[in-house]
Amino acid sequence: MLSIYYGRMPEAIFNTAVYFKNVYEDSWITDPFSKEMILDVDKSTVLGNGVIDSPVLGKIAPVSLSGGVKTLMLINNEPQKIFNASTCGNNCAKWILKIGEMQDVTINLRHLMDFGQETFDIHILNTGQIVHNMKELVPIAGVFV
Amino acid sequence: MRGTHNVIVQNKRIRYDFDIRRNLTIIQGDSATGKTTLIDMIQEYYENGSMSGIELRSDKECVILSGRKWENDLKVIQDSIVFIDEGNEFVFTDEFAAFIKNTDNYYVIVTREGIPSLPYNIEEIYGIRDSGKYGVLKQVYNEFFHIYQGNRPDQNKFDMIITEDSNSGYQFFKATADERNIICESAGGKSNIFSVAAKAVAAHPKEMILVIADGAAFGAEMEKITRLIADHGCLVLYVPESFEWLILKSGIVEDKEITNILEAPGEYIESQKYFSWERFFTSLLVSKTEKIYLKYMKKVLNPSYLNNKVKSKIFAVLPVDF
Repeated sequence: MLSIYYGRMPEAIFNTAVYFKNVYEDSWITDPFSKEMILDVDKSTVLGNGVIDSPVLGKIAPVSLSGGVKTLMLINNEPQKIFNASTCGNNCAKWILKIGEMQDVTINLRHLMDFGQETFDIHILNTGQIVHNMKELVPIAGVFV
Repeated sequence: MRGTHNVIVQNKRIRYDFDIRRNLTIIQGDSATGKTTLIDMIQEYYENGSMSGIELRSDKECVILSGRKWENDLKVIQDSIVFIDEGNEFVFTDEFAAFIKNTDNYYVIVTREGIPSLPYNIEEIYGIRDSGKYGVLKQVYNEFFHIYQGNRPDQNKFDMIITEDSNSGYQFFKATADERNIICESAGGKSNIFSVAAKAVAAHPKEMILVIADGAAFGAEMEKITRLIADHGCLVLYVPESFEWLILKSGIVEDKEITNILEAPGEYIESQKYFSWERFFTSLLVSKTEKIYLKYMKKVLNPSYLNNKVKSKIFAVLPVDF
């Protein structure tokens, strides 16, 4: 299940780009789920270990992927840690929900990410409530960001 | 610094072309739109000049600020456009807000998280819209009449008004609301508006609620309140630059200089002197009314503003009627 702590959280890793640069593994990039996320969010194709084809930037290294998709891979591959997911745009929201369906993860959000029109299960750690759509989420989470 | 400054940054693969209009600009938006690429290109040009293979055109120097020594670095940066990428937690500190308040730079900050300590205007929040290799900044919030509403029911009358603070603006709207038997509450500060509005829509789901706030410094709150509006058609937000701007715009103080300033405020407002445009408009109104019956005071409303003729002129500027 996806759990979210809204607002400042000192134990969360704030600068996810720096953390990713120092800990990522090649297998994270070539993992089929990561490939899907990279194609969807960055519109880029993983060619092999360490090489990604970006339509704008050309052939790039994993560290040059967007901050959002790097954070998604961190959440998916290090579920025991808590990451600042406000480095992810709304186009990452569906992937955060998918990761939360596959495993228990906790993220830190410092803004109101839009999780879309569909229903979901999100555990808001600040209050202990579980919400199922944005109409339920906004009045609760908005107080903390 | 004052005025609008155009910035063009390009290399062989990508080109950015945008205007920076005020001292505080926020860039946010979807992932992979090129925010960090823009910052990296400006940094590489700053370090290596044209030898970087990057072309940067601007009438002001563009610099990047990052890291733990931001304060030392900022001491020697003047008359520049300062870009700060996400991942720099210092932008959320009171120390940063206090420091940049007295500098003559413009600041462009990449963040999705609101920064309540910085008075940025809702219209200076941008996302990068890219079409292939061209990136431009597009305003996230840009309603022409400063009115934000969801699927509003087909009725114009409001049952409740929520204002930002208890100063003259609140006193003005409260006096009119009382005449019309409408509830008027002060949120007690911009940071409370979301929670007061959220409670109000929960307690009175069928009543029409109008929130009036100063757009000049409401940037950090805008995302929350607009999300609330999206789910509650009974909630409407009106964000003029400030109450003082509303008075100046109404024309009750006839003055050619005011007219000229309102046409292009950015050309007159020195960022080092006025951290927020709201302060500039207050200062302008106070000075222009100092010796007339409409003498303006921020804390206590001069009763002359409740004169029917004056009041109706101010209300004529509002895009909504109570």
